[in-house]
Amino acid sequence: MRKRRAVPIVAVLAAATSVAAGCSSSAKAGSAAGAKSVTIGVSFDLLNATRTAEKNAIQQAATAAGYKVVFDVADSDAQKQASQIQDLIQTQHVSAIIAIAQDGQQISSSISLAKAHDVPFITIDRSVADQSDVAFQITGNPTADGKLAATQFLAAAGKTPLKVLELVGGLTDQNAIGRRDGFNQALSGAANVSIVSQVPTDWDPTQALDGTSNALQKDPSINAIFIPSDFLLPSVESALTSAGRLAPIGDPKHVFIVTIDGDQNGCKAINNKDIDADVATLVGEFGKQAIAAVTASVAGKAVAPKAVTIPGLTLDQADYGTTSAQVWGCAS
Amino acid sequence: MNAAATWVRDGLRRQPLFPVLLVMSVVLSASYGGFGTTANFRNIAVQASPLIISAVGMTFVIMTSGIDLSVGSMFFLAAAVETSSALVGEPAVLVFPAVIATGLVMGTVNGLAVGLTRVPALIVTLATMQVYRGAGGHITGQQDINVPASLRGIGTGTILGLPVPILLAAAVALAGGMVFARTSFGRHLQAVGSNRDAAADAGLPVRRVVIGAYALAGLLAGLGSLTEAARLGAVQPSIGQGYELTVITAVVLGGTSLFGGRGSVTGTVLGSLLLSAVQTGLVFSGASPYVFDIVRGSVLLAAVLAAALRWRGLTDALRLTGRTPSGEPRAPHHPTSSALQ
Repeated sequence: MRKRRAVPIVAVLAAATSVAAGCSSSAKAGSAAGAKSVTIGVSFDLLNATRTAEKNAIQQAATAAGYKVVFDVADSDAQKQASQIQDLIQTQHVSAIIAIAQDGQQISSSISLAKAHDVPFITIDRSVADQSDVAFQITGNPTADGKLAATQFLAAAGKTPLKVLELVGGLTDQNAIGRRDGFNQALSGAANVSIVSQVPTDWDPTQALDGTSNALQKDPSINAIFIPSDFLLPSVESALTSAGRLAPIGDPKHVFIVTIDGDQNGCKAINNKDIDADVATLVGEFGKQAIAAVTASVAGKAVAPKAVTIPGLTLDQADYGTTSAQVWGCAS
Repeated sequence: MNAAATWVRDGLRRQPLFPVLLVMSVVLSASYGGFGTTANFRNIAVQASPLIISAVGMTFVIMTSGIDLSVGSMFFLAAAVETSSALVGEPAVLVFPAVIATGLVMGTVNGLAVGLTRVPALIVTLATMQVYRGAGGHITGQQDINVPASLRGIGTGTILGLPVPILLAAAVALAGGMVFARTSFGRHLQAVGSNRDAAADAGLPVRRVVIGAYALAGLLAGLGSLTEAARLGAVQPSIGQGYELTVITAVVLGGTSLFGGRGSVTGTVLGSLLLSAVQTGLVFSGASPYVFDIVRGSVLLAAVLAAALRWRGLTDALRLTGRTPSGEPRAPHHPTSSALQ
């Protein structure tokens, strides 16, 4: 009796498996066939203002190329990102992956999986440790961005000696480390600029607020602050307000501030003359070049160069009128 | 004189963290100019205020031998509601109760899930942690949203020269202490945390007590969130991430047993102030950014070890007196149950 029931069940399962396998192979064949059926799996480490701008840039370029996008966010969890990429490759059969790695080391297994399934793997924003199987990588240049920020301090120090509070991002994040190192290298040995306090924030706005308050309490003569990301700017402004030190450019109480990213906070603060400069990351370029790399890769062509770094664009008070249009935070 | 000495000795025995905080403050004040100023101590207290508010709530939960991992996510969701489009332009008298009610609802959901089922609180609140953070992300669209100036007084204002966050934290601590010491709910919390089955056998409303503890924790998370968001000036997707560890550390440092049944609000306040003072001391010391994590991790480790030692010391002492840690007569020793442990 049991055997008799089992036969149709097995037959149905076999048929379903065949159909699924057929779909799978056709999807795979389709993905390589042409631009019309290209679906890109996009895996982000997290979603914030910067990532939303990057997502929009990818979506815009993909739509222009006629591609579909399946979007996943890993909520800062490297294991979750690996599972999501596995799902994109093995279940959703995407034609290519564009990823921002939560962890540049751990993502290697996902890159290997993509290679095993002939799915081009493209990384943006954050570089990965092993790039040998990555079809294309485009990132900012955090060290260069840190140096660009430092040049603003060097220029300002020509007029007034600067005592700098340096906020540091997440100590496991290469963007944070690169920005810190570039900034410190450029200021090393500089006359009239001294870093009097280095405060870690772990990219946490509360730590940035408390750390800035503590540093201002410790050394009230601090007259310059380096903020490694615009999203920490509201915290710093709150700390300055509490200390009675938030004043616009031109006011003798003004604290010289340079940030990085070019988001809405930074752009608005420059426009209001609350901060002096912002080194903007060109996130729009990430999306355009990543989609161009997808087009080349699914057509079986190698992408050259395989890795591109784009230094930031400095937006300051002098060039706001001419440069702000190129900064994503000012446009949105 | 003897009575005063006895009072001080008993006080120190009840709150061993107090001398630690005192010595640390003296040492840091002597080492770094500017640390021992009124302005700096006020700064430390303001920074500790949102932590004190939410840690008092967590003390209620941990007293029931529970845990609430969702406190950071509740922080975020409450802040998201505060700046949501539904409340844009509304006055503080409407927004603040709405945010606190949101916290109460979240805490009640936690309490119902833990109290009405036997699913461990760790699992329940791990799940709601994701739910609340996801809901917060949905409301904010994962964007930074500025907190209107009309809602910032709760974090940055003063009343009679005293910062509002400090006044709020003091009020919450006083009320929390009263609940523990003077109400049947406080006594039931300790009984349920010491031995849930025995409390049920004694006819105590165990489920109501557990649900109430989580609901209060949610309400206080909502209030803490209001204070923190007002201080920050903006609601950002990363608000409250990893905050549960800080809150639990403050509670455990203050002497509340992770096994439930024992603890105090005063200890929690001292634990929160100690964490804040350590953070400030690190900035004053000019320590390398890498040292911050080492010190924070060491404080957590010290708190857990101290809690374990206190528990072991207490159980050893009570074994001699034949009573359980909650003060009840100990059941006769049973070789089989001992072997199973």
